[in-house]
Formats: sequence, structure tokens, C-alpha cells
Amino acid sequence: MRSNPSDYEMVAPGKLHTIVSLLAQEPGLWLPIAGGTDVMVQYAAGKLPARKLVSIWNLPELRRIEVTESEIRIGAGCTYTDLRRHEVIGREFPLLGSAARWTGGVANQNRGTIGGNIVNASPAADSLPALLVYDAELILVSVRGERRLPYASFHTGYKKTLLAADELLQAVCLPRRFTGYFCHARKVGARNAQAISKVCIAALGRIADRVVDDVRIAMGSVAPVPLRLMETEHTVKGKAIDSELLLLARKAIAAEIRPIDDIRSTARYRAAVAGNLVLEFLNRLSSEQMGAEHEQVADALARWNRLPIDEAIQTILPCCGSEAWAQGMVARRPFADEVALVAASNETWRSLTESGWMEAFQLHPRIGESRTSSPKPMSQTAQSVEWSAQEQQDVADAEAAMKIALAEANREYERRFNRIFIVCATGKSAPEILKILRRRLKNDADTELYEAAEQQRQITEIRLRKWLRG
Amino acid sequence: MNSNSIVGRAVPRKEGRDKVTGKSQYVDDLVLPNMLFGATVRSQIPRGRIRNITFGSGIDWDEFVIVSAKDIPGKNCIALIGDDQPCLANEVVNHPEEPVLLLAHPDRHLLPKAVEAVSIEYDPLPAVFTIEDSERGSDIVWGEDNIFKTYLIEKGDVDGVWDKADHIVEGEYTTGAQEQLYIENNGMIAAFDAAEGITVWGSLQCPYYIHKALMTLCALPAEKVRVVQMETGGAFGGKEEYPSMIAAHTALLAIKSGNPVKIIYDRMEDMAATTKRHPSRTRHRTAISKDGKILGGEIDFTIDGGAYLTLSPVVLSRGAIHAGGPYYWPSVRIHATAVATNAPPHGAFRGFGAPQSLFAMERHMDRIARAVGLSPVEIRRRNFLQPGQSTTTEQVVREPIDLGKLLDRALEVSDYHAKKQGFAKGNQVGATRKGMGIAAFLHGAGFTGSGERYLSSVVGVEGCADGTVRVLVSSTEFGQGTKTVLSQIAAEALGLPYENVGMAQPDTLEVPNSGPTVASRTVMVVGKLVQSAALGIRQTLISSNLLSDTYTAGEFRVACENYVAAHGEFRSWSRYEAPSDIFWDDQKYRGEAYAAFAWAVYIAEVTVDLTTYSVSVDDFVALQEVGKVLHPLLARGQIIGGVAQAIGFSLYEKVVWQNGRMQNSQMTNYIIPTSSDLPPIRVHFEELGNVYGAYGAKGIGELPMDGPAPAIVNAVQDALGVYFNSIPLLPEDIMDGLSSSSQDNDVVSAGRVQ
Amino acid sequence: MTVSGASCAKAEISFTVNGKAKTLCAYPMERLLDVLRQQLQLTGTKEGCGEGECGSCAVLMDGMLVNSCLVPVFQAEGSSLVTIEGLASGETLHLVQEAFLECGGAQCGICTPGMILAACHLLNGKPETTMDEIREGLSGNLCRCTGYSQIVEAVAEAVRRRMTV
Repeated sequence: MRSNPSDYEMVAPGKLHTIVSLLAQEPGLWLPIAGGTDVMVQYAAGKLPARKLVSIWNLPELRRIEVTESEIRIGAGCTYTDLRRHEVIGREFPLLGSAARWTGGVANQNRGTIGGNIVNASPAADSLPALLVYDAELILVSVRGERRLPYASFHTGYKKTLLAADELLQAVCLPRRFTGYFCHARKVGARNAQAISKVCIAALGRIADRVVDDVRIAMGSVAPVPLRLMETEHTVKGKAIDSELLLLARKAIAAEIRPIDDIRSTARYRAAVAGNLVLEFLNRLSSEQMGAEHEQVADALARWNRLPIDEAIQTILPCCGSEAWAQGMVARRPFADEVALVAASNETWRSLTESGWMEAFQLHPRIGESRTSSPKPMSQTAQSVEWSAQEQQDVADAEAAMKIALAEANREYERRFNRIFIVCATGKSAPEILKILRRRLKNDADTELYEAAEQQRQITEIRLRKWLRG
Repeated sequence: MNSNSIVGRAVPRKEGRDKVTGKSQYVDDLVLPNMLFGATVRSQIPRGRIRNITFGSGIDWDEFVIVSAKDIPGKNCIALIGDDQPCLANEVVNHPEEPVLLLAHPDRHLLPKAVEAVSIEYDPLPAVFTIEDSERGSDIVWGEDNIFKTYLIEKGDVDGVWDKADHIVEGEYTTGAQEQLYIENNGMIAAFDAAEGITVWGSLQCPYYIHKALMTLCALPAEKVRVVQMETGGAFGGKEEYPSMIAAHTALLAIKSGNPVKIIYDRMEDMAATTKRHPSRTRHRTAISKDGKILGGEIDFTIDGGAYLTLSPVVLSRGAIHAGGPYYWPSVRIHATAVATNAPPHGAFRGFGAPQSLFAMERHMDRIARAVGLSPVEIRRRNFLQPGQSTTTEQVVREPIDLGKLLDRALEVSDYHAKKQGFAKGNQVGATRKGMGIAAFLHGAGFTGSGERYLSSVVGVEGCADGTVRVLVSSTEFGQGTKTVLSQIAAEALGLPYENVGMAQPDTLEVPNSGPTVASRTVMVVGKLVQSAALGIRQTLISSNLLSDTYTAGEFRVACENYVAAHGEFRSWSRYEAPSDIFWDDQKYRGEAYAAFAWAVYIAEVTVDLTTYSVSVDDFVALQEVGKVLHPLLARGQIIGGVAQAIGFSLYEKVVWQNGRMQNSQMTNYIIPTSSDLPPIRVHFEELGNVYGAYGAKGIGELPMDGPAPAIVNAVQDALGVYFNSIPLLPEDIMDGLSSSSQDNDVVSAGRVQ
Repeated sequence: MTVSGASCAKAEISFTVNGKAKTLCAYPMERLLDVLRQQLQLTGTKEGCGEGECGSCAVLMDGMLVNSCLVPVFQAEGSSLVTIEGLASGETLHLVQEAFLECGGAQCGICTPGMILAACHLLNGKPETTMDEIREGLSGNLCRCTGYSQIVEAVAEAVRRRMTV
């Protein structure tokens, strides 16, 4: 123990307003000490510059957690154990819960506080990345009153914060809007417990329509401050998670972080592992989504399997438009999984007569046109209208000239074959479709019938999959 | 042993109750009247001439006791093997943290500032920090050539094997320094009285090492130096020689002040200033036949001894003797060297050179396996020593050890083959890779060669006035179970209840010199002397007609009480006599190196996480032949504890050096495994007996340190297909190894060499 | 409880230790560890590192396991402390102490007081702990001798006995 206790003074006024008055009287002179898990280490090493300490340990005004409808307000004096034990934190803010579990050992969790972690401002601190992704806000208090600021702006440099010399961190507030996100956190230290992190990640993600709808990634120990990886988030948002995106993400991370060599690890290691951690998160997000999707698909199918016949027919009809097909599908229930459903659909479709096929063909609007301008009203639902619109998205964006050419070619097709031109438009551009149309115009009637049927089969399959995924 | 035996049973630890209730007295728990506290002013540079010492302002220096080299009554050295290590630096410092001055004050809180207020000016001298720097010889920092010691072990005709080789396999392997990290820091209290002399109480392994050192330092005769061991919170070799330094410091302060003086190191000082395991470099060049047999080879084994001689010659010796592993070498040349650098002297740490050279040997065996196209299992099986064959020092294996069978049992218990097959498949995909690794090894118990003969240990057993029996040894308890096992042995020998026998606190006033508590010798060598000394007590009572040949515990008690009443002190002594069939040639470095070897096969199962590059040990099997297990719980505890330390040695514990000084001298950044990092370690014993050991026991304290590191690194190679030849193996190193495309070229040729 | 004036004077501090009320004078920033060991002569609590890493100094403060080397004695005012000396009732050892003896959980003994208190804290919080939870609960207590196995087994044995009591 390298300090002399008689050199130090400590007071414990016990009331927040007294404490902030003290801080105001002699700004920078009094050092607040909560659980002491950092201050006392410096003290024992003979490296504590402060000589006057004001104890804020176990202050009721600081050590409480309030839950309102919109947010949770965590007092700065709450210990990691307090956080670990709180039900709402465990349920709605699991990234903070896991950070609390990782910090030190049980004895240090019983004394270390979230406020201390924030104000000490080490870029390696365990709970800070979680606060970043949860859009935390801080409440700071002084004789001048309270002020509330976004946590994202709090750290201005290595161990530098916006906390004024006479201010005390009173609480950290997290908005309650992160249910429904996939969450992932991981700490990489020199050992499984009691380790200062070499790199750590806290991340939230959400996939909708098979692309990343929202993603929030923060990391510790990769910069002088805890870092929200905005660039990487931007790279990933709105895209499907595939191997190409992962490569892009890795490049974005590498450009965004500034890790260093220090006594614990190297910049090169941190950079590589940071990239690995983000990719691990994205992969998990993707397969979690897949997993969630699988569950969703299984549920939807199970429910449809149990529907009364009429309802089941009506439900599945928009996928194809052919009553015969729908009846055939319903007759073959129950289906074990998506694979079986699709296989049955293909088989059923192929076994239909020409009139069955025609019924399906007539459901579609002319390619490039909306439903309402189509010559024949069909038995179709708002669902199939919407699906058609989605499928023809690319075509809808076609330029005016292309539109005219398409319309002309469509009419030619109708004159020749006496029905609407059917093509599986998903992923195809207008010029591509025009090319296909012109080619098929040259088909003889039989060949063309089979080609159209094949296209409908593809359309049906796509719609079946979409239907299962809600 | 029958079912009434005490030996072989898990009897209660003698001092266990005190330990679980917090009653045990460690040195910092002892307070003496008028006691002062001491602190050490240390060098901040690696090497230089002391030009000036200034005592800064702001300190009331009159209140302090100040001791320098000039205050040393006798010789300014810590007498050990040599006398080159000063107690306090006088003109020159040779390593960072070298003691220069001592301070004492009644208020321990005033010392840190006072230490900081002493400024020492130096004329720096060039310093060396690595084995290579030292070997280069451009800066000589010790002796004529930086070389503390060399050994040459030669057997057969090494120069002739290369022509006959089908494969020549080369490799270089290095190990880093390791801090013992006993949880109780070093500490000592000394008191001086003109009439009685010096008494020290402390955390220590070897009371008589300190006794000898203080005699020389203080110019006092043997009867005026007294050393008492307190309960000691872990040692592992780290309290073998270093306590002599602290004892010397407290003694000097006590002599100068006339008060008792206590010095307790804090963790930062202990880690930075005291001994560590010798860093090592081993180079192998081995001639192998096409069916994978070792024809011969050269082993170059070098250790970094730090700035002074201390125990490096002995560490070197053990490392050199173990360098060939448990294999038959028809020919071998082992060239061993200990060199000087400007780091704090490296010292004893469990294994004492063997973990270093055996790491190299067992990594090298896997390399040989790959070169020849055999499995790690088969290459070892084909080369194991058989009874009747001789070791690298030409010691003939005379016990019926079957290493192939040990290997088979270890493979079975660890499910090695099935797991390896499964991993090969599983490793094709996913973010983790799994592997299995083997290490086979041996560890000689007792002092090397003629060491035990020179030690000439003496043991006493006392019959006390109250009819109980006391073992009198200088062997110390520091967790490994000395008190318990030696009491068991004496009780067994006398046929008395375990509760009636105890061990005296090691106090040089009370106990004879039974040698240091090192080298895995306590149960085997000292225990055997306890056995015979105990029988001496029995014999005396029987020949005095106070006892018949068979007796009850009550009868013994009465006989003993009567004897003491009639004759006074009742003690029986036993002195070590070297067995007539153990012979060691110190000149040629050849012969029976150890009275007994324990043999082992360890198997590690690891997972390498490709996201973080960290290694976790998922399962560990430690199988060893140990003569006889005298206390199952203690023996198992020793193996598990040793394996845990060796896992630290391989994967976690890195000393970060800068100009000879340890930078990460705190528990927060010198990493040992926690309970969350270690798997349950599975321990299995085989027992072949040992005629030279008490009740057939062999020493086991250091054995578990030798195997885990190579087993683990072999497993990592199995998982990743990458060679790692250096420990500690950190995730950062694994990442570098995976990203570097070079595979080292380990086979010189698969054909005949011109 | 405030400190007077500008000079750093000692404070009067009261708490209970092992059921006994104590009042003493100490500098506010004296470590609870040192006050226990030196002023109260309760030397069972040990210093291993002085930085809250090894857990040898662990005590129970108001039922919570804390590292006493990191607690300024001033903050212990009014608290209820339990040290290793307070576990046994006279000659009768605590369940955890018995289990440590039987399972070989103590070797050199220096980590043992803190380790036993950590085990008690764990068992107080959750009587039916699993092996993994035991390892996690003790991960703030470093041991260099045992490799942890026999410690974990001792705690598991204590759990078993507690459930049959």
C-alpha cells in the first residue's frame, strides 16, 4: 500500500444537494468516490492525486432504478449487482446485463457502479458500448440544476468527458424501445473472468424483408473512447447479409477503428478480432433471422394445415389463382415443411389441365400495368395485387420509352396467343422482360403454353414462400 | 499396506482446521513489540555505476533507520552456490530493482514516500537483455564471458549417426519467464539481540539456506542465528533462495536499530524484484531412422540466469538431464549453458529447468512424427525407454516401467482416438477448431547426482514428555502437505494413531538440517529418514524394556513418558546415506542422476476459437506412475495444482520486459487462470513402488509442471496445423501464426545426408 | 459522520464485526482490510494483491461479498461485517469449512478465508448452485495451489449437505 491514509480526508454528507454544493464550492478539489473499485486501486498504487474525497456510496438518491413506460432510469450509484438483479434490465436491456456479469468478480460487482464506469471513461469499460447502442442519455446534476445529454456525445477524448468540475452524474436513462431486436455481446479478455477487455462488442440488429432493417454496433478498446461504429452500420443497413456484405463490413470496420498496442494486447490483434466480432454478430443475426424465419414458416404452415377446407383454399389461392390448383393443394394436406409444400405445388401445377393454367394466367395484370387497367377482373385479393406490384417493381421503374415498347409488345402477344403475357418478373429489368417477350412471340402455341406455365410455376413458388413468411 | 494403514489414506491435514478458520499465523500476522517496518530502495536502471545518492527534502530523515552496504558486518553477499550477489549494491548495480539501501520507520505508511525521495545517480553501463545479446559477447556483464555454467552430457557416438539417418529433424523451442505468484507476498521479520544473535521469522522454504546466508552476512556463528518458518502462503520455488535476501535486509535493519523489523513486499515489488522461472532456448537436431527410431542427436539447451549466479547451475543441470525425455537415445550430445543478462536473477520455480527442456523435447517429438509420417502416439511408443535401457546420462532403468502401457491407459481414459477422429471431421467447418495433444515425460526426484550425498540430511523424531511424537525436520509446509505426510509416515512406522504424531515448527534452534524443501525430495528422501528415525524411537523404548515388540497406543504413551522422565530429552536421529548402488560422476556428468524417476503421460484436449484466437483447455488427463500414493487427496491436489500452473505457463502468463524490468507487475495484467478458465483436471495414478522412497513413494511435487505445456501446444497444432514453438502462446501469437504463410521447414532431407 | 476542519484527523467509526459492535478511531481512507487486521487483530483476512484482483481480502459487508482492500473504512460505518473468524460457532465449523477440510480445498491456506467467504456468499444467494455457477461465483478469488478442482468439489459438497439438512 503506497499511500499514507493520514494525507486523505473524506466526508459523507449523505444528501445529494449537500454533495453538489460541496463540489461547487471548490470545483475539482473533492473527488466523489462510490464503490471505490477504481479509486482505491490508484490509491494503493500511490497514484491518487486527489486528497479530499466525498463518499457517494449507497446514496438512496443515486442508487435506485425507476421504470416508466418510455424509459428506465438507472441511478449512477447502482452497482453491477443491482443491474444484474433487475428484471427489466435483464429482459429489455440484456447487453447491459451481460456487461455487468463480465465486470470483475462478484466482490467487485457488489461495489463497482455504473456511474463509476461512465465517469472513469476508460475505453475498455465493459458497460459503455451497451449504453451507446441503447441510445442512453445522462442526467448530470450540479448547483446549477440538472441537465440531460445524449451519452453518445459524453466522451470527448481519452478519459475526457463533458462532466463539469462541479457536476455529478446522477442517472443514466435508456429508452424502452429495443424489444424485438436481436442482441449480441461479447467480451474478449485475457481470461474468462476478471479481465480488462482487449476488445468488446455490444450490438443490436433487426432484419425485415430479408435485409438489415436496423443495426447498432458499439465496441470497446478500439479507440480512445467507446465507439459506435456508424460507418459500419451505414454499410450494412438496408442490405441482405451475404458473403459480399461481410467483406464490405470488414473493410468498413478496419477503416473506422483506431486500436493501439498496449500492455494487454496489440493493435493488429484488436483490429482482426474487432472485424471477427462484427462478422460473428452479423452471421448470428442472419441465422437467428433464419431461425426465426424457420419458426415463422413452420407456424404458418402448421396453422394452414389445420384450417377448414374452404378457408384453406381461399388462403392459398392468391399464390396461384387456379382453383384447381388450390383444391389440389388442400387435398394433399398436411404438409411437413416448406420443401414438401413447394414440391407438391410444382407437382399439382404440372398436373393441371390447360383450363387450370388459364385461370391462373388471368389473375395477372398486363406486365407493366397495374391491376385496375387490366381488361379482365379476376378472382384475386388485395394480396395478389400487392405481390404483383412487388414482382413488377423493376418494370414499374422503366423509362417511358421502354413502357411504350412493352405495352406494344404485350398487345402483340395478346393478339397472337389470346391471353396475357406471363413472366416471372422478380429480379428482372424491363429491357430483359422485353427481350424475353419478343423471343416468346416467335414460339408456337404449344411451346408457348408450356413456357407460360413454367413461369407461373415460378411465380407461385415465390408467392408461397412469401406467404409462409407473413 | 493394510486397511489399518495411515499411509495411503486421506487423513486430515494437520494444520487444516487453522487454515479454514483463519487462525494460521503467516508472517504479516505476527507483530512484535517496538517493531519497525522496513522498505527497500532499488535500482531503476539495468546496469551502471552508482555515482551519487541524495536524500530528498520533505522527509524527516532523522526518524528513519538507514542501512547501506557499509553497515554489513560480514560479507556483502547472499551466500548460496557462489557469492557474487550482493546483499546491497555498493558500487555497481546489475539489474533493475537491485537493492541499494534499506529504510525503516515505526509508521509503515511513511515508507513509500521516503523510498521515492531517495535519488540515485548512475553512470549507465551497457546492458544485455536476451540470451542472444548475452551470447554475442559484445557486452560482458558477468565474469569473463557472461557464462555462469556449462555442462556437457555425451553418450555413444553422436558424430557417427548423421550418415545413418533417414531423416534429420531440427527445431528450436523457447519458453518465457514465469512468475511464481504465490498469493502470499514475500515477508520477513528480524530481531537482534547481542546475546542471542539474530532471529528471523518468515515466509520461506529453506530455513537453513537463510541460516547459512545470515552467518556469512552478519559474521555470526551458527548458534547465534535462528530462523523460524511461519505458515507460508505458497512458494513453488519462489521462496527457496529469495527469502535469504529479505532476511538479510531485515537483519541489517534490526542490528542497526536495535528493534525488530518487518518487511512485507507488496505485490508490485514482489513481482518486479524477485526471482522468476529461467527463460530458455532449446535447439534440437535429431537423426531418425526410417521406422521412426531416434538414432542420436544434439541438444543445445540454454537458460537466461539474470544478473547473478544464484541457483542457475542447478537449474541448468536438471534441465540438461531431462532434455532427452523418457526416450532411448543410443547417442546424444547435450550441451547446456546458463548465461547472464541484466534482469533480476531468475530462480527456482517448480520443475527447475525440466519444464523448459521437456517442452522442447515433446514438441520436437511431434515434429519428428510429422517428418517420418508416423502419429504422435506411434513415434513415442517406438522410442520409449524400456527397463534395462539407459538414459541420456547412462542411468539404467531398473524398475519394470512400461511406458507403452501408461500411454495406452492415458489414450483410453482421454478417449483420444475417437475424439481425434471426430475433430478431424468437425474441423472442416465452423468457427472453432479442436485438437488433441500428448506429452510423455519423466521427473527425477531428490537432488541431482551427488547432491543428496552433499546435503547429508539429518532428521529427528522426538518422543515428548506427554507421550506424543514430534517429527523434527527443516522441511517446510507451504500447502503441499509436508506436516501431514511426514506425520503419517512416523505414525505408520510407529504403529500409532495419526493424531498422536505431529511435526515441530521448522525452527533452526529446534530442528536439524534435513535439507531444503525443494526438488520433490520431502516425501521420498526426508520421509524415508523420518521412517528410520521413528523406528529408532521405537527401538530405544524396546531395548530399554519399556515396551514390548507389539504394543497399544496407550502402552507407547506410558513408555515414552517414562523414558523422558528418566532420561530427559528423547530424540532419535537419522542421517542420509547414499544407496550404494547409486553412483554419479560429477566430472563426466554421467551415471545415476536421480534415485527415482516418476513417469507420466498427459493428454490435452483444446478448442481454438477462430474469432478470438484464444485457446481453451476443455479436458485434461494427467496420468503418472509415482511409486506409491501416500495421501490420495494431497497427491491429487498437487497434480491438479501443478497442471493449472503449467496451463498458465503455456497459455496465459507472459512477463512483459522492458530493459530488464517487468512491466506488468500486477495481478491485473499478469494473467493466471481463474476457476472459470480451467476444466476439471482428471488425475490417475499408477504405482510401481520405489525402494529409495518412504513406503515406496516417489517425489511428485514438480512432475505435473513438465507435461501440460507441450501437450497443449501439440493439441493446438493438431487443431490448426500450424507450428508454434514458443510459450506462452497467446491469442495474439496464434493469430500471427495463422496469418503468416510460412511453414517452417523442419526436415532437412528425407534421404541420406552427404 | 464528518471529519473536522482542514487537517486530516481520524474519524470515529462504528460497525459490527462477527456480531460484535465495535467503535474505533481511524483515518477515513484507511483500508478496511488494514483496520480489521491491525486495529481489531482479525488477521484471518489476508492481503494478496492490494488491487481487488485476488479476493484474499474478501469479507461480507451487509451480506455482500466485497474486497476489503478496496473499501475505505469510512464507508463501512454502520455496516455489519463478517470475516472468516465469524463463521464457526465456537468449536463447530461452518458447513463450508467442513467441506473444505474433507475435500482438500485448502493447501497453503492464504486464499482460503476469502474463498470460503465467497462460497458462503454464493450459497446464501442461491442454495442449489451448479458446478458452472460455482466456478463463476468463485472466479474473483485466485488460487495458485489447488487448480480449483478440490475447492469447487468442496463447495459442491457443501451444497449437497445443505440440501439434506
